[in-house]
Amino acid sequence: MKLLIKFVFVLVVLLLANSFVLADDGPTTESYSFWLGGHYTDFTDYSKKVGEYNKGENETLPEFKLNYLSSGPNSILRFLGHYYDNKNAYAKLSSTISNKYKLSVQYRSLLKQEGQDLLTNMEGREYFPETGTQGGKILTHEIQDPNADYNTYRQELLSQFSILLSEKNNVRLNATHRMILKTGTEQKISSDHCFSCHLTSMEGKVNNTQHQFEVGIDADINKFDIGYQFGYRLYDPKNQASMAYYDDAVHPTKGTAGGEFGSRLIYEDVDAEFSVVPKTEKMSHKVKFKRNFGQGYLAGVLGYASVENKFTSLKSNSYSSAFNYATFLDSKTKLIAKVAVSKYDSDSIYIDLPTFREGAADGNSYNFDFTRYSALNRTNANMSAELIKRMNSNLTVAGLVGYNIVNRDDYPIHDDGTSTKKFYAQGKFRYRKNLSLRSSLKVRFEKITDPFISAKGIFEANGTALRPLVPTSNWVFYFQREGLRYQNITTMPTQVFSFNWNMSYNPNMKFSTTFGVKGNFDKNDDLDSLDVKHTSFIPSVSLQYTPDNLFSIQAGYSYNYDKSRLPVTVALMDG
Amino acid sequence: MKKTTCGGLLLLFVGMLLLMSQPISAGVSDEVCAGCHDDVTEMFSNTAHGIYFSSIDRLKDANCEACHGSAVDHIKDGDPALIINPANSGQFGAKELCLTCHKSHKFDNWKFSAHASADLTCADCHSVHTSIENPTVKSSSENCLKCHADVRASLSMPSHHPIGEGKLECVDCHGVHGEPARLTMDYSGSELCYSCHAEKEGPFVYEHAPVQEGCLTCHSPHGTVADNLLKQSEPTLCLSCHPMHFHSSVVGVDGAFVDPLAPERSGTSTSDSFERGFNTKCTQCHTEIHGSDMPSQTTSTGGNALTR
Repeated sequence: MKLLIKFVFVLVVLLLANSFVLADDGPTTESYSFWLGGHYTDFTDYSKKVGEYNKGENETLPEFKLNYLSSGPNSILRFLGHYYDNKNAYAKLSSTISNKYKLSVQYRSLLKQEGQDLLTNMEGREYFPETGTQGGKILTHEIQDPNADYNTYRQELLSQFSILLSEKNNVRLNATHRMILKTGTEQKISSDHCFSCHLTSMEGKVNNTQHQFEVGIDADINKFDIGYQFGYRLYDPKNQASMAYYDDAVHPTKGTAGGEFGSRLIYEDVDAEFSVVPKTEKMSHKVKFKRNFGQGYLAGVLGYASVENKFTSLKSNSYSSAFNYATFLDSKTKLIAKVAVSKYDSDSIYIDLPTFREGAADGNSYNFDFTRYSALNRTNANMSAELIKRMNSNLTVAGLVGYNIVNRDDYPIHDDGTSTKKFYAQGKFRYRKNLSLRSSLKVRFEKITDPFISAKGIFEANGTALRPLVPTSNWVFYFQREGLRYQNITTMPTQVFSFNWNMSYNPNMKFSTTFGVKGNFDKNDDLDSLDVKHTSFIPSVSLQYTPDNLFSIQAGYSYNYDKSRLPVTVALMDG
Repeated sequence: MKKTTCGGLLLLFVGMLLLMSQPISAGVSDEVCAGCHDDVTEMFSNTAHGIYFSSIDRLKDANCEACHGSAVDHIKDGDPALIINPANSGQFGAKELCLTCHKSHKFDNWKFSAHASADLTCADCHSVHTSIENPTVKSSSENCLKCHADVRASLSMPSHHPIGEGKLECVDCHGVHGEPARLTMDYSGSELCYSCHAEKEGPFVYEHAPVQEGCLTCHSPHGTVADNLLKQSEPTLCLSCHPMHFHSSVVGVDGAFVDPLAPERSGTSTSDSFERGFNTKCTQCHTEIHGSDMPSQTTSTGGNALTR
């Protein structure tokens, strides 16, 4: 509601400013329409939740739309508004004055139903066959408000303004402010992991604000279009922190041996915050240029962006560059070439942890401290070239080839990352006969080497023997089972083939029909264990009949078939 | 004879000059067009173009021929091919006709755009003759989905971005006029996602590598059967990279139980309780799957379990 009031305020200011500026604009033409309606949903015997974004209200609600246009010799003012209910509304006011000033302000809101997980699957107790009694580990859950109706209300206010500073070089200053306000409630689940595995569900208040400012200047100087843009984003979650109690570390049934169990935990017997979203600040600078050459152009952009987590002071930086060259080789052939390189550099951080079984008499202690290097650190490069040829007035043929490489610096291992390379080729055929028939076919092939992996994510082959921490000891600890997970796993494909065909037939201006089918087949048979395969197939048909401007019938049917064959690894319990 | 020829040529030259200095119109009035196209001409005064033209002195007299060119041959013959139709991409000059007036930088790259390469014209998406009450873009996203039927199918899935509900538009994410959208900061597309979902960007102390790899590793943005736009339901998606949780192979007791150390924590157990508990939905416990600054509880994982 706060944002809606701001929107109405900005709207009034803009309307006043507009009427002031246009006082001498001469005769204006005005046109408007007002639509009044309503909607009603009956939910007898049905749940009130009808989808993520449509909330069922078992009552009649009014709904209206307003459309207004004012046009003068040097100005256009337009307003579009749609009120659905108090959580779902849209309004936009835009104004152009003598091509010098352009301004618009847009408001939109929506309600998203988040639902609640009742955690009913989280309940169980371990069986000890040797004693026949109830045994050790216990899995429980607790729902603090089982009838809670969690939902978030998102409002967005977008204001854009541009002014032509100089007609000579078309120098234009642009400014944009975007504000997103998210309020409401959502489910928060804390998981306690000591004498029992216990989940607690509670209400979390949502109150996030995001501000985005962009200021830029563009100019056309000596056949060069150049521009600079500065961006600033502040994400500020003002949520009240969710708190949970984390149990004292003791034996699951006897309640003894606190020290032994405590050494397995970083914290215990404490009230602590959880699900904390940090405040972040992002700044970006972008320089762009474009140079037209006869029938083509060369365009480029250089960018730098930095985002900082204000809670931990961790920073990520990105440096990017991209260039596009497009030209007509002859009157019927065009070439589009693209090259882009970007580099990401994110801070590392040393994680200092309590020593496991510190000072243990048997010598079995271990220090888990480590430095977290970011998986984001990488260099991306992409290049592609596309040739499009119009064979005749009906047929166009296009071919594209490209190469993409991702060099990860620190994933999965610091200073020994992985490299993924992708070659792709694509062909397109388009046929269009006047307005009555058009058809297109696209086929694409990709060959990928070393796709993204889950490092040491699988027990793929026979395990190696586990060695005690201390050679003289017989103890092998539970966490040492991780040593058996020494194989990498991926579900990413190494080969992709896809096609997309569609055809539209419009025998006259009142009737049109479209048929289409899209298929995607990808696989990875480079794995030692099991081949990965994904198949999707989407045929569709649609019809449209529009006898006049007031009446239109549309009908469509799409079928989506998806099938995946993936490796899944079984559980291994050692203790 | 020579004089006559020269005079004729001179007249022709002057005539051509006069013709070239005139607007596109060759002088056929709207009333003539209305003889056959009355539905269009009647509405024109209430269209965005009609209202705009009537406000501008130099455009006040602009008629159908301002966009459609000379109608003389078309009127004589009745053949639709004998008049410029901006909706017909096969006709010479028709495709870029609108750009002669609409000269914004936004359309600079139109000729090299995917839509232009697909032989689309402005009229494929914009209704020029619609009344001012309706936007000139034919119901926006609905218009895109007319051709992109596979996306329409995805948007009908249980989890989707609210395009069908009218809360978002395709153009919120996609450039349609050949804007050099790929000249953005990030090839993975994540930069675009973070412009609305900023809370997922981090940087976090504890990361989940697929997040840094790109949002599309786990999500399909148009729509999915699984919740939260996930490509597959939990736990299958997680289990395709991670082994099953080792606690899921614990055998449970049959019957009611009470936690001896916290009697209020009670429940009913079966032999497969742990399998059900740990192999249903990983994010019930690993709630901070996009990253966290808070360590999880267990020392041996380095606090990296993304549970807090």
